[in-house]
Amino acid sequence: MSDEVQNPDANDGGDAPEGTAGYVERYRRRGTTANNELLVAVTAVVAVSIFPWLFADAPVISDVLGGYRGLATLMLIWAIFAIGFDLLLGYTGLLSFGHAAFWGGAAYAAGIFSAEVSSEPLLIVLAGTTFAVLFAWVLGFLSLRRGGIYFSILTLAFAQMLFYMASSPLAFLTNGENGFTSVEVGPLLGVIHLDELLVYPLDILYGEMLYVFVATFAVLALLTAYRVLNSPYGTVFRAIRENEQRAEFVGLNVWRYKLMSFVLSGAFAGVAGSLFTIHGQYVPLESLFWTESGEIVIMTVLGGVGSLFGPVLGVVVYLYVENVVSGFETIGPFWHLILGVVFVVVVAVFPRGIWGIIEDGYARVAGGETAADDGGER
Amino acid sequence: MSLAADLLRVFLNGLQTGAIYILVAIGLSIILGTLRFVNFAHGALYLIGAYAGLLITLEVNLSNGLLREWGFETIGLGWGFLPALIIVPLFVFVIGLAMERFVARPFYDRPDTDQILVTFGLAIIAQELFRVLFGGQSINFARPGWASGPVSLPIIGNFPKWRLYVIIITGILVAIVWLLVEYTDFGLIVRAGTRDPEMVELLGIKLTRPYIVMFGIGAALAGVAGVVGAPLENVNPNIGTGVLVPAFLVVVIGGVGSIRGAVVGGVLLGMVFSVLVGAPLPSIDILGTQITWSAWAQVGIYALAAVVLLVRPEGLFGEEVTG
Amino acid sequence: MARDSTSLSRRDVMKTAGAAGVAGIVGLAGCTQGGGGGGGGNGDGEYPSLGNYPIEGDKAMFGFNVPQSGPYSSEGEDELRAYELAVKHLNNGGGWVDDFSDLSGDGVLDYEIDYVKGDTATDADTARESASRMIERDGVVMFSGGSSSATAIAQQGLAQEKNVLFMACLTHSNDTTGKDCVRYSFREMFNAYMTGQALAPVVTTEYGDDLSFYQLYADYSWGQTQQASMKQFFEEAGWSEIDSVATPLGESDYSSYLSEAQSSGADALFLNHYGLDGGNSLKQAVEAGIDQEMEIVMPLYNRPMAQAAGGAIEGIYGTIAWDSQIDNAPSKKFTEVFGEEYNGRVPSGPAQLAYAQTLQYAAAVERAGTFYPPEVIRQLEDYSYSNIGMGEETMRKCDHQAQRDIPVVKGLPGSEQGDGQFFEIVEITPQSEVGYDCGSGPAAECELGEYGDE
Repeated sequence: MSDEVQNPDANDGGDAPEGTAGYVERYRRRGTTANNELLVAVTAVVAVSIFPWLFADAPVISDVLGGYRGLATLMLIWAIFAIGFDLLLGYTGLLSFGHAAFWGGAAYAAGIFSAEVSSEPLLIVLAGTTFAVLFAWVLGFLSLRRGGIYFSILTLAFAQMLFYMASSPLAFLTNGENGFTSVEVGPLLGVIHLDELLVYPLDILYGEMLYVFVATFAVLALLTAYRVLNSPYGTVFRAIRENEQRAEFVGLNVWRYKLMSFVLSGAFAGVAGSLFTIHGQYVPLESLFWTESGEIVIMTVLGGVGSLFGPVLGVVVYLYVENVVSGFETIGPFWHLILGVVFVVVVAVFPRGIWGIIEDGYARVAGGETAADDGGER
Repeated sequence: MSLAADLLRVFLNGLQTGAIYILVAIGLSIILGTLRFVNFAHGALYLIGAYAGLLITLEVNLSNGLLREWGFETIGLGWGFLPALIIVPLFVFVIGLAMERFVARPFYDRPDTDQILVTFGLAIIAQELFRVLFGGQSINFARPGWASGPVSLPIIGNFPKWRLYVIIITGILVAIVWLLVEYTDFGLIVRAGTRDPEMVELLGIKLTRPYIVMFGIGAALAGVAGVVGAPLENVNPNIGTGVLVPAFLVVVIGGVGSIRGAVVGGVLLGMVFSVLVGAPLPSIDILGTQITWSAWAQVGIYALAAVVLLVRPEGLFGEEVTG
Repeated sequence: MARDSTSLSRRDVMKTAGAAGVAGIVGLAGCTQGGGGGGGGNGDGEYPSLGNYPIEGDKAMFGFNVPQSGPYSSEGEDELRAYELAVKHLNNGGGWVDDFSDLSGDGVLDYEIDYVKGDTATDADTARESASRMIERDGVVMFSGGSSSATAIAQQGLAQEKNVLFMACLTHSNDTTGKDCVRYSFREMFNAYMTGQALAPVVTTEYGDDLSFYQLYADYSWGQTQQASMKQFFEEAGWSEIDSVATPLGESDYSSYLSEAQSSGADALFLNHYGLDGGNSLKQAVEAGIDQEMEIVMPLYNRPMAQAAGGAIEGIYGTIAWDSQIDNAPSKKFTEVFGEEYNGRVPSGPAQLAYAQTLQYAAAVERAGTFYPPEVIRQLEDYSYSNIGMGEETMRKCDHQAQRDIPVVKGLPGSEQGDGQFFEIVEITPQSEVGYDCGSGPAAECELGEYGDE
């Protein structure tokens, strides 16, 4: 699974091994990258380890925050989605308004697979992701026929098409409007129940096994994205974003790289969508609706495109506002409006999002140059 | 009922469904073609048009929302429909000008994605603003007496009067815009600017003003669409985004910057929808599942867009575009 | 959906850990939710912990998950008013609480009732997330809400998973107590199947018994079951179906469909659309003059729909959950106390459901003598009652569907509408004429799942 997302060549259907070896060799030589990678990995593991406790159970802090563990899990799932989406938007410069198709499509595929074939969580994720990848291939092929703004419109349109298909003609598969209710999640590898608490004291940090399962994918997703971005592929993605024509003149097959980037982000969305099904044991029809695509756009941009941690931050902020702040008596009813205004301000004034603001602030305090050490920009 | 009556009915229904799409799509298409500006907030103009039309036409009882909390139990002027049909386009025209000046202009030199993002954000703000103020539920936009009820037509019998008016109003508006673009100096400049803006500027003609006016006209058309389209259904904060996606499809099918394309695209979409819903097609059995065509009506319009795109990526009436 | 019954939730183990003497460490780790009162208020200790049982502290928390934004927000607000009234009466007496022999008007089992609100936005995804926040963070022992079957089905799945009771408010789909039914949810509202049974006798008496009809139905589970039920019961009554056409869910323009219906030559048109879709299709049907040529029937009415359709509902038959004009003591009393509390407002059908469902749960807890969910469920199952204004009722054990009377109504003309009145009651079809066996209809597909203490 992680191979699939790590190495876009594998998606080509051709013989991957040779290409993989060469490319692995090449980035291994970059020693500093490896060190940074370790740093990223450690940071990520520490973060996902203390976050749920801080958020849901820590004295005072959790009461003030009003968090709960289910939301922490949901945040990680969306974080995987956002990291993949940023590969496309932040690094390749393509704005898709149709990623609900991969998120929701994978969620349905995972759900149906779990009910009909196997309830093994790993296989469920594999099934959902495979569907998302194949579908991203088709949709990307169609949508990339037109560049720029048309791409956004076309992805939006085709994702809506899938929504309408799931809602009515394919209702015999999807259970239509009522959502898919027959999800079956069995024990991991036949023995580990995902809804079981971990042994003390691990339970204090992680709570249920499900969190560990999701968090593992989240950390892997982050590392995969980091590797891709520091591979020649990542360089090409950035080159395309900076100047598509120049990249073309250099002899790169821009169209193909764009498609790869699209499929890659579709794969991330697929992993996330499948985990969403396992987490909720239910697939709502709304998971295919275009507002879902809009949400991932807002999260990613709000947090900060073109950085590794920015989109994750965006997810945390958005879901927190949506699920906790929305319950406040005073500003609760206006949560969506407030997010809309903040979003427009960010787009207009702070194109690098909240993460960018933090980085700039940090740079000012440190007095040095902009801290572009997140593996993204350099 | 005869086959002829069936076909005629399907045709009229298709025309009417397409009419609203056309009104919204023309503005989108022109703005995209001339200013190279993609406006995800174009649906918000439809939304504003609908609410403005509602408030000018009727006095509305509010059951919840912020306005109700502030003490407005009813709101609206109750002037009737015709004043709304005149005031709303002017009002939305002004909003269009303001939008060009304060939203679009600062973003002309920014990447396409930034334009989409900022207009998408504005669409959300507009939608949420109406939700917060009016409470989110659907408000009945009752039609005036002279426009409600059926009219008896030859061959097909009863047909909703308002739908016929929608087709006629759309026809008139499209004709006006068409004449404006094809047969006036203003239109000539706009068309030339669409083709080759540098050349036009070299000839000493400033393009800014005609472009702004075109932006306003496109906005006003979306506003009118809101006024004539909303009485078909009800007014709620989601109708703006609801109409945006089909309108984009129309632009994609018809080709950017082309009024003819928007009209043909709109009619095509309306027809596909109407035929799948209403034409006397036999239902078929696949693997024991009964396939009813009407269930595929919504999917059909997207499939049409996909086909057009595969065959003619630039759209039916679009200029050849690379990429 | 079925979870391993031996597996425990986080809260369970926190508690078990506490009981095993690790309480200090857990407390140190700051599991404030789990630690809370340090085992202070756990009144009845005879059952193992399950879901959010036992309750920590001296307040029992309810969760009310209603649409506060979106198209059903006005209905959601009315439900919320009723829920808040129910909590007030449970704690301080008043309303039906005085008449329910099981209820004291002084909290429930020595616990004061408190509540949290949530917004479903009429969206299954949002509803489910909001409900899981109530369960996980706020520790609710029961949650309730409604206005759409999709949200109800999403929430009751969660209820079963988390072992917390869901008392469904407005949900009319057969699936809620049919193929998607769960042990942890109970429905007072009737369903699409029963609507067909209730309408057929009344409508055929009014319009004659050998008419032909044409159906439009929203193409999703509710619309399909509604259509099937109308076909079955009207054909049994002697009518014949000419055709039946699906319309996409959320469609706003029904003109094409309606003109097909109009040209079909049928005598009657059934619009199996609900909510705003129903408001739209009905309004457009009247616009097209169909009401002059055909008899229109609208199987299920609600208030937002009547508001959206305006005067178009005049003289059109349908069913509703409950209405303030129903002439019996509980209905009158509810209308009265609701009006007193909220400036003379007239409660809607869903408000009555919301109020009734909250009290039913509380009464079942009192009868069980514990909040332990399996015991509460057993008290609710096959419970017979006649105190909520809908005649003699039974909450059936096999599918958790209330067997009850159904009000059949006719829409009022626009001029007589307003102030919460949109319908005139034509007849209340008694329980004996509606319903189905446990082995037939939607119930045949229902498998409730486990109590959680097996």
